[in-house]
Amino acid sequence: MSYKANILVVDDEEALQELITAALTRLGYRVTCASDGAAGVEKVRAERFDLAIMDIMMPGMDGITALGEIKKLDPELEVIMATGHGTMGTAVQSLRKGAFDYLHKPFQVSQLAAVVERALEKRKFNDIARAIFSTIKPDELPRIIIDSAMRILKADEAFLAVAGRDGRLAMDLAEGLDSPEMAAARLELCRRAGPRLAAGGAVTLIENPAEDKVFAGIPGTEGIKASLLLPLRDGDTLAGLIGINRRQSGEYYGENDLQQARLFGSLVNLSFRNAKLYRQLQETQGQLVQAEKMSALGQLAGGLAHEINNPLSGILGLTQLVLENTEKDSQNYKDLKDIESSVFRCKKIITSLLSFARQEKTRLEPVSVNEVLEETLTLCARQMELKHIKIERAFGEALPMVNADFQQLMQVFLNILTNARDAMPDGGVITITTSLARDAAGRETVSASVADTGPGIPQELLGRVFDPFFTTKPVGKGTGLGLSVCAGIVQRHNGAIRAESGPRGSVFTVTLPV
Amino acid sequence: MKKILIVDDEAVVRNYVRRALASRGFDVEEAAGGGEALAKLAAGAYDALICDLKMPDMRGEEVIKKAAALRPGMKLIVITGSVSDVPDPVAPGVKADGCLIKPFGIGEIRDLVASLLPA
Repeated sequence: MSYKANILVVDDEEALQELITAALTRLGYRVTCASDGAAGVEKVRAERFDLAIMDIMMPGMDGITALGEIKKLDPELEVIMATGHGTMGTAVQSLRKGAFDYLHKPFQVSQLAAVVERALEKRKFNDIARAIFSTIKPDELPRIIIDSAMRILKADEAFLAVAGRDGRLAMDLAEGLDSPEMAAARLELCRRAGPRLAAGGAVTLIENPAEDKVFAGIPGTEGIKASLLLPLRDGDTLAGLIGINRRQSGEYYGENDLQQARLFGSLVNLSFRNAKLYRQLQETQGQLVQAEKMSALGQLAGGLAHEINNPLSGILGLTQLVLENTEKDSQNYKDLKDIESSVFRCKKIITSLLSFARQEKTRLEPVSVNEVLEETLTLCARQMELKHIKIERAFGEALPMVNADFQQLMQVFLNILTNARDAMPDGGVITITTSLARDAAGRETVSASVADTGPGIPQELLGRVFDPFFTTKPVGKGTGLGLSVCAGIVQRHNGAIRAESGPRGSVFTVTLPV
Repeated sequence: MKKILIVDDEAVVRNYVRRALASRGFDVEEAAGGGEALAKLAAGAYDALICDLKMPDMRGEEVIKKAAALRPGMKLIVITGSVSDVPDPVAPGVKADGCLIKPFGIGEIRDLVASLLPA
């Protein structure tokens, strides 16, 4: 049999136990009794209750002590204290110990019913809050929200729609909507309700949408008796929507439901804000870990390079000595040549490793980004020509100077340009754009982007291009350190570097604060 | 015959440098550390000193400074595993005549020595 809540009554007077039990059972609650504090505590230990009503003066363990013990076992359990001899003092003491409220004996059944209802209300609120805040992981949140919405508002269907970048709502998660067509119809309803949402505050109630001409022609609306729409806001913009619907078999939402919905909506909004902060925190942590890894790697690389160069020098020198005494057309000669070129490859890797590890001091001075780019282009103009690559300049005019290390910036752009060149072995166009911009924090920045017309970088690899030793170039062609060195340099300039890619090529953008 | 002293704690490096230069007509002697090198320099004159920087018993800079005082006019060549290690000047008032970063080949050391010690 279903009951509204599970209530424990702890009282040494049997007559009162019976009275309370009868009253509460009539109201639809399930009641369990205990005759003293210790027995009450044992009941709580054995079973889950929503509420306890407890006498203060009892033989054996008194009510105040039992309250403390019960709260230790189940801090969420609400306790109402009842006393015939209670002074204000003991009442206040019990409230301090976490009791929800107290009742003076003798009390009317209506008083009992009212305080029980309030206590259970609070319990429900705690349940909602606990459920919603049980996770800050963004991907677990929608499931919890929809489940809570269904349960708390006794709904037949509930869904979470999230606004995409273009502002259009798309279904994120739905419960009770069986087909994609139905989901699409509900979304349409939300869209048409847009103006009401804008005006409607925390909750918008729509009753019998089928009779409302605003929603005319949307399939399936006749099935809905009442719909609650809870907007999720990110600042001033609508970030999403929770729809909570009751079908014709259900009842209309009452004032109590609306109150709960409002509460629910504000808690969900809060939890989404938490999730967003959590995401930002994780990103920042990730960056810190990355920076830490870089610095450890740098130190390791520096020491390693030194240790390896000595034996490597021996391999190179001795190989060349033996080469001098080997017949040029013999297999040995070819093998030794391969050893020699392997050493050169190692040397190249170590050199880039060292330049990565060195973490030179950045000397900042006012620098024109356009000028740095021009200088860099002078350096690689010949190579670009050889590879049939056309350079398009879209330089912004009268850009402010940035505080930067000229040489290091050249290194960054040279690296990006070299990668762009290597991405287009059959030629293409590199477009270099500079402009004034603002970063997320509102700082004025100069941004320089280098776009190529190569095949682009697959999305799954895009996040790794700044990782050390990550390379898509054939073995021996790249060390995988170039872009991570660039990222390090840009970071030391308090700037940002990012990579985007599509089927028409890749774009690397460096932003530097003015 | 021009005399050269190669100082390096790495035997393999001493080995190939000596043989690369010996086959070009130089008289090359080896020292495995700073102390041994300075003893040899005190005992006899050399036309060039090829010296590693990072050695367990003594820093190469120290060896070169003392060698320069002991044998003024001797050519000084620094060999090292890391370009960022090379101080300029090598020691106060002492400038190296050449520097090679390991790994270097036999051609590089021959060319450098030949340019400093023309026949």
